[in-house]
Amino acid sequence: MYGETGAAMRAEFAALLRQHRIQQRLVGATPKEREELGGLIRTYRQSVIVWLGQAMRAASPLAFSNMPPAQPNPFRAVGSRGSHLTAASELARAIDIARQQSSARPASTHALATPSANPMVDRWRLAALAAALAEHDTNEQVAAQMTAPQAQALVGDVAALTQALVVLDQRYKNTPGWEPLAHSARLGWASLAAALDVNLGQPDYAVDHLGWRPKTKVITGPVRPGILGVLQAQHNLVIRMKSVPNATNLRLVVDSQRLVSAHLAPYAARIDERLAERWAERVETYSVLQKELREIGGLLGKGGLAVAEGANAVARLKALPKDAIVEPRVLSGFQLLFNRLDDRIADAIEDGVEHGAFFKRVTLPRLVDGGGQLVRPVRERFVPVTSATDLAVVKTVRERLRPKDEPPTATPGPTRVDLDSALIHRPTRGGTVDVPNI
Amino acid sequence: MLLPHAHTLAQARSYLAALADRASTIDASSAYEHVLIELDRIHEDECPAADTQGLTEDRAILLAVATSSLEELEQYGVDPLTVELVIAMLDDAYAVDGT
Repeated sequence: MYGETGAAMRAEFAALLRQHRIQQRLVGATPKEREELGGLIRTYRQSVIVWLGQAMRAASPLAFSNMPPAQPNPFRAVGSRGSHLTAASELARAIDIARQQSSARPASTHALATPSANPMVDRWRLAALAAALAEHDTNEQVAAQMTAPQAQALVGDVAALTQALVVLDQRYKNTPGWEPLAHSARLGWASLAAALDVNLGQPDYAVDHLGWRPKTKVITGPVRPGILGVLQAQHNLVIRMKSVPNATNLRLVVDSQRLVSAHLAPYAARIDERLAERWAERVETYSVLQKELREIGGLLGKGGLAVAEGANAVARLKALPKDAIVEPRVLSGFQLLFNRLDDRIADAIEDGVEHGAFFKRVTLPRLVDGGGQLVRPVRERFVPVTSATDLAVVKTVRERLRPKDEPPTATPGPTRVDLDSALIHRPTRGGTVDVPNI
Repeated sequence: MLLPHAHTLAQARSYLAALADRASTIDASSAYEHVLIELDRIHEDECPAADTQGLTEDRAILLAVATSSLEELEQYGVDPLTVELVIAMLDDAYAVDGT
């Protein structure tokens, strides 16, 4: 997730920015040793610059300027040659120049993985490591999902990190064999302009939720005690539902969810009344859904493991003492899992009906009596094939089960604030603490 | 499946569905629902639709007619032991409902 790798980078740079008297910190008896450490730092810096360039490439198609252009020509793409120059495209160009003109190579995997004895060099290593990992989070697939405000947030982050690099470049210039950033003044001004441009709009920090995340796995091992056991089973159920269940197993899963919601609601009512109401509503939805699923059949699919986990959740919840207190954290965990499961069940039903894995049962034909003939034929009625949307169960799924989209809460987070304050901080002399006197 | 078998099965399903709809608690409703799902599973999900409209509200009567249609299924080649087990499940569900 970009939120994690980006925060790691910002935290390391904020710590580096607070360090002064660099030559004293580069502990080494001879200038040769210090030169070696300086070279190592430059390789780490090159890794970070490579990521900065990549992030700008991901964001630049969407990083529209917030300043009105002098001559708006909509037929020219943002950042292309001859179009109106934007701050973001200028920053991307300056970063590219800095990357190309540096003689250092990006840090090798070996250099990234080996901790350094010098704490300052190690911070550079961790920043480079986070940058290497962040390449996962700002690649082309991720950029395809990005919105324009999210791209602006990314440009803002890149601008802040570039400013940090420029400030540090000045501070490290006395290191033996140090190679300053190419056109560092231009880089600094471009990053300042990009940051200013971003802040004229409203960047969306939901960009933190984009990127690679580890695959969720089944929680194995012994059953967790109390309510955590229920949470474990519910989590496993969500994962087991990845395989498409057949109609019978789907009905059993739906039944288990009805019971879980109904039995959890009293525990939630003591902590959060609104959550209890939502879960009572969920019970209603699942009751209706179950009633309608009785008329749906189908043999395709599996889902035996999901049924087992659903039954586990119900059994463990029923064994819970009535006066148990459930933490708000656990309750919100349940709400998250409920949302995911509702979404998955809705998908399973809609796709199953659409692609013919689920069928509607027919009501039996009537026998016509007294037709005046010796043989009594079965009177059949043929129902025209209608679209899947006419089924009651699909309607319920779309209107009631599908969780309402809640925009993820996105705040800038503490690390962005910390990096900004580190960029503008001044060293305190002699350890005096800068507090106001009353 | 022949028509009389399907007819009996449809009746049994309708009575079980009616019991599940009219159960006093959610646990009892779920227990009836499990009987219904078990019945569908025995028939490999090849069952006609249930129709609960116009059935009585009295759960004791519904239990009696459901049991009798389940017993009737034996005549159509359903394994008698399986039918007994389903009826036992139904009795358990009714016990949950009664308390």
